[in-house]
Amino acid sequence: MPKSEITLSRTHRTALVGCLVGLCAVAVAPFFLDTYFTNVLIRTLLLAAVVMTVDILWGYTGILTFGQSAFFGIGAYACGLVFTHYGFGPGWALGGLALALGSAAIVAAGTGWLAFFHGSSPIYASIITLALPIVLTQVIYSGGSYTGSSSGLSGFPTYFWSLEVWFWIAGSFLVSTTTAGWLLVRSDFGRVLVAIRENEDRSAYLGIPVSRIKTMLMVFAAMVASVAGFAYAAFSNVVAPELAGFQLGTELLIWTALGGRATLLGPVFAAIGIDTMSSWLSGAMPFIWKLLTGIAFVGVIVALPRGLAPLISGLWNRLRPQRHAIPFEANIVKASATRMLQGSFGDAPPLRIEGLSRRYGSLEVLSGVNLVGKGTELLGVIGPNGAGKTTLMRCISDGKERTTGTLYINNVEIASSSPQQVVGLGVGRSFQNTNLFETLTVSECLKLARYRIDGTSLFSRSDTIALPQPSLDILQATGLDKKLSEQTQNLSHGMKRGLELAMVLATEPSVLLLDEPTAGLTRPERMAIGSVLTKLTREFGLCIVLIEHDLDFVRAISDRVVVLHQGAILMEGTVEEVVASDLVKAVYAGHKEEEVA
Amino acid sequence: MGSVTFDILTTAGILFVVASGLMIILGVMKLLNFAHGAFLTAGGYAAYLTGAAGISPWFSVPLAGIVGVAFGLVVERTIIRPLYSRPLDAILATWGLGIVISQIFALTFGRGVQFAPSPLSGTIEVLGIEYSAYRLAVSVIAVLLAIALIGLLSLTRFGLNARAVIVNEDLARGLGIDSTRVRAITFGLGSGLACAAGALITPLLSVDPNMGLPWLVNSFMLVLISGVSFPSLLLASLILGGTQVLISTFISPILGGMTIVVLAAMILRLNPKGFSRA
Repeated sequence: MPKSEITLSRTHRTALVGCLVGLCAVAVAPFFLDTYFTNVLIRTLLLAAVVMTVDILWGYTGILTFGQSAFFGIGAYACGLVFTHYGFGPGWALGGLALALGSAAIVAAGTGWLAFFHGSSPIYASIITLALPIVLTQVIYSGGSYTGSSSGLSGFPTYFWSLEVWFWIAGSFLVSTTTAGWLLVRSDFGRVLVAIRENEDRSAYLGIPVSRIKTMLMVFAAMVASVAGFAYAAFSNVVAPELAGFQLGTELLIWTALGGRATLLGPVFAAIGIDTMSSWLSGAMPFIWKLLTGIAFVGVIVALPRGLAPLISGLWNRLRPQRHAIPFEANIVKASATRMLQGSFGDAPPLRIEGLSRRYGSLEVLSGVNLVGKGTELLGVIGPNGAGKTTLMRCISDGKERTTGTLYINNVEIASSSPQQVVGLGVGRSFQNTNLFETLTVSECLKLARYRIDGTSLFSRSDTIALPQPSLDILQATGLDKKLSEQTQNLSHGMKRGLELAMVLATEPSVLLLDEPTAGLTRPERMAIGSVLTKLTREFGLCIVLIEHDLDFVRAISDRVVVLHQGAILMEGTVEEVVASDLVKAVYAGHKEEEVA
Repeated sequence: MGSVTFDILTTAGILFVVASGLMIILGVMKLLNFAHGAFLTAGGYAAYLTGAAGISPWFSVPLAGIVGVAFGLVVERTIIRPLYSRPLDAILATWGLGIVISQIFALTFGRGVQFAPSPLSGTIEVLGIEYSAYRLAVSVIAVLLAIALIGLLSLTRFGLNARAVIVNEDLARGLGIDSTRVRAITFGLGSGLACAAGALITPLLSVDPNMGLPWLVNSFMLVLISGVSFPSLLLASLILGGTQVLISTFISPILGGMTIVVLAAMILRLNPKGFSRA
């Protein structure tokens, strides 16, 4: 991926050059095209802008949307309805455009609310976007003479400018929105989108408001599509329910897939090429043409999942002399970790659990767990497999997990908060299975972890990452500070675990949940992590809850140990007390329950 | 009032029959088959061809089922199998397949509407109400189908294997269950059910190249809301289909057409598990 190696100024320079070249092409094109093609291309250029938004939603963020046509239709109908029923003139046109933008934004926000929430499946979200144009078409049908029902509206007053003017409008709209989109996906925010696509759950547990980002993205994409629809209606002087229909919505997807998802320019050119060709060929052989695009679509999905763009760019790279890529150097600076210290202030313990239970149907995995985690304390949770240790972690980090019980983080009741809200309260969680973003680099991962605190830039890349001291310590201890531009999939297992811990610490938690942080690590790596953890409790006042099977490791670093057995706390005490206890020995040796209780 | 009750029961039956093929594929393969609508259409044309060939309409449903199974096995091998690890791509591929199938029908039979003969015509009197005999027959078939599918899943060796794959595919494979075979059979069975359902409902309506499309989204909603359970699907068909009939009858048919989609979306938003554990 050469993108990550482009420096800030070069990205902006490329965008500027691309934008100017695009505008020049748009300016001269009408003089070389006949009337028929100009006519066809105006529609195509507007649709290409919509396809560009589909690529950002689907290609980059992973939201498979069938419903982007609905917003195109909303824009078109805003134009048709205002000009037909209310009035015509510059004021009315601007009012209509505002109506288009406003209603598209509201509908998109509503759709986002329905489709995106913590725990919603991507398939469910896709079905909602499929339902949207279908419902909208029904609404249009039911509008009677107001919406023109199935025949739509036509013959309303509009600006009968020359074809060239409309071509310039459509073309410059496409070029400017695509430039903005291009900068967006190459910015730090664009990396957040990719992170959501690659590992939505992990993003949420880093405190990134996944659902809100998706909904906002949907709103902006909808607004772009509605402007395109508005312009199309004003140009063609016809609006029909098909403009909002899901047939068009799926065609947008097909063009995106054929052009190459997550390449932005690929889908735009595919849209221009295929739509122009189809209006040319569909006159001659209507069904065959649709059949051929259908077959091509299935073939590309099965055999070339990345579409045609990578083939072309591959060819281009082979023909062109290789330029020396400037590696993207990230600067790591120290952030003041004031938030981390909050746990050691005041009398309230950072973590308080009262009467926590979790049931799956009739199976009770946790029952009546009471636990207090103090600041500066390293609490080891041990217990045989299936004792409910990981479930306990899950209940602390996601407010919707537990069945009953009350949980306080820094004296705030977590109620039914989503994981990203719990992160906001000061909980950091690392997972049992190393759980990272494969195609992102180490520095990009660290930047993601700082999203909640430092925010992100929408249209540019920043080269500084501010990290709290403990994060820096981990990076140094594991040697990651020398591998900042390496993709995480190329790291060793130990480095991945180190990076994950550094990321969790970068969110500046005051309660740190670690699920077997040393599993599969070498002895020196284990020691390094152990000393960082001890330092975290002593110097930064963190409350660490640690699940671990390695009793020696627990003994070396824990202040207090809790033994979980069959979902309840069996025993609590110092490491020595617990290890010496017959009860615990019995549990681990697998004696009968009756003898134990 | 009485005929509305029958409308509700028969609509629920039709919805169940139409969605069951989709559900079995989603349950076992975790794959939402967007070609389901095209499979329904294929069944519709099978019924039309059976009628045109002068074969008794009673044979159209089993014939459509057999054709569907064979076709499903071919599709599974060529298109679905390479996409197991990419579920969203599989959705797109089945969607593309749906486009291809409906275009082939449009080329072969034209865009127009065709009719298939009904095996049962006229009305019969039940509990003092005159009602369409064929609609009632479809509901009876729906109930029998539900019993047969539940039986298949809970009583047969294939059902046990399929349930194992549903719950934990990796573990099932570790136990020596040939999950590839289970998937292939499931897809064949699902597309067979879809084609048979298309043939079953065609006498009530008509067939055209896009006949399956309106059923597709409603089926999606019913299946998503039911989880992987045929009793839940029956319940969901009854509740959502019933609401649809009531709204179409007493308020407006256009609102009725949106009922299932909107209601199901709201239920899933408020309770992502839907009826699956109700």
